[in-house]
Amino acid sequence: MNNKTKNAAFAYSYLFPSAFLTLVLGIYPIAWAFRYMFYNYKGYGTARFIGLDNFTRILQDIQFWDSVVNTFVYAGGKLLLSIPLSLLLAAILNRGLKGKHLLRAVFFMPTVISTAVMAVVFFTIFNSYNGILNQFLIKFNITSSGIDWLGPKHAMLTVILVAVWGAVGNYMLLFLAGLQNIPEDVYESSALDGANKVQQFRYITLPMLGPVMQMVIMLAIITALKGYESIMVLTEGGPAGKTEVMFLYLYKLFFPLGGGSATQVQEFGYGSAVAFVSALIVGMISLLYFYASKRMNRID
Amino acid sequence: MKIKNILGNTVLWAFLLIFGLVTLVPVVITILGSFKTNVELTTGATFLPSKWHFSNYSEAWRIANFSTYTMNSLIVALSAVVGTLLVSSMAAYVVDRMDFIGKKIYVSMQAFTMFVAVGAVVLRPQFDLMVKLNLHSSLWGVILILISAHASIFFILVSFMKGIPKDLDEAAKIDGSSLGRTFWRIILPLLGPGLGVGALFTFRGAWNEYLLPLVFTMTKPELQTLTVGLANLKYGISAASQTHYMMAGACLSILPILVAYIFANKSFMQMTAGSLKG
Repeated sequence: MNNKTKNAAFAYSYLFPSAFLTLVLGIYPIAWAFRYMFYNYKGYGTARFIGLDNFTRILQDIQFWDSVVNTFVYAGGKLLLSIPLSLLLAAILNRGLKGKHLLRAVFFMPTVISTAVMAVVFFTIFNSYNGILNQFLIKFNITSSGIDWLGPKHAMLTVILVAVWGAVGNYMLLFLAGLQNIPEDVYESSALDGANKVQQFRYITLPMLGPVMQMVIMLAIITALKGYESIMVLTEGGPAGKTEVMFLYLYKLFFPLGGGSATQVQEFGYGSAVAFVSALIVGMISLLYFYASKRMNRID
Repeated sequence: MKIKNILGNTVLWAFLLIFGLVTLVPVVITILGSFKTNVELTTGATFLPSKWHFSNYSEAWRIANFSTYTMNSLIVALSAVVGTLLVSSMAAYVVDRMDFIGKKIYVSMQAFTMFVAVGAVVLRPQFDLMVKLNLHSSLWGVILILISAHASIFFILVSFMKGIPKDLDEAAKIDGSSLGRTFWRIILPLLGPGLGVGALFTFRGAWNEYLLPLVFTMTKPELQTLTVGLANLKYGISAASQTHYMMAGACLSILPILVAYIFANKSFMQMTAGSLKG
């Protein structure tokens, strides 16, 4: 064996565990979904090829499109609250402040804790009946009876607030990293020209943060659109589907929840088609944002 | 001007403190709540426990099965860390130091798995596959799937690998060291900081993972991890009388990662900020 083939053999043998695992457990499942989205397959019996029938069924599936609308409300709410808040925190912490390292560590803390575990905790806090928050609201006479935080009227808001709690620290840190790349002398010279802090923020920080902002918002959009773990534990998509988001609906097609509304059955073929359409929706919105933000940058 | 400054600073600090409190309170509530009785938790409206019930932990540990859940979480998280670091450091070494046919395809495949979001659909074929291999009746199925999702750690290790001078490889080669020996004896020890960051992140991900162990252990309580066991308490018939176990269980899950965070918060944050450039 000459040196070259020996080296190649070494390279492939070291690459093998990684490539094999990725192919079998990462790529194959996606290919599986690609195949079964054209089939009628419920997990038992034989799978029957039905062409595009699953996709015409999606077009008429009101529950799915409701979940798409819910996803947009959820993602929109999460973004509108978390992005400005995290940018503001980052801008404040970027100015040499006493205790900024401690504050930064505190704000980032939620990102290291399990979403599912925090959803359980938030459930005991927001629980409409014996929830900790309602106990205090009643104790201090802020409300006479508890607020139905997880009821049909407020559930979406609650779910969004929980998501914002978990996300702000992460985006703050990314913004902070971007802000630290803006040279200090730009601020100094603008201060000499008499610019105040707000003007500096508007005319220096925001434009110079452009690319980072674009990336963070993109990341936030994708995460918000595909997130469902916390909602699943907190509300299971309820009450009456009020917080059912796209990827939770999808999850239930593969693993029906044993909860109150056990009308759902396994739908592997149809579920694969829903997965494809959902992934397409996420992809299209990200692309749309990407081009829109690029154009906005150019106009600036 | 001076008054305006003081006013501005006050508003600024009030905002920071309020937001800091909002961030901390849910975790503090969990820690304090884990020492309260169920009645105090559900009706008491107290901040500090009126009496500290340390027995919540021993009861949760024994009666509510949290000893099993903790053990399973540890097994899953530690195995995932070792496996992920091993698999991705070997791949990162050959990808960064050698040229071979198919390298580009391999790298794009890793990038692809990072960016495609198809949700729970992948869990199904993964589960069926593990049933066929008879790996679904132990935690090995979960561990292997966690290890298979190592794309981000691979890319991090490649960037750390680039920081190790190639002269070292050359010198080792001249001294007659084989490629494998060079990797294990020279490169891997120097990759320490990268492995540390990778370990931290894999541990966090595996320890906090919920959906994957949930799907794999739905009918096997003896294999459930902390996250799954804890969330199941919420669905149980006796859920209303077990809030104190929920809090104690949540603490068991939060505290290890929180302690790690207190000591290594720079590494946690460095990683997130680093992903911006990568």
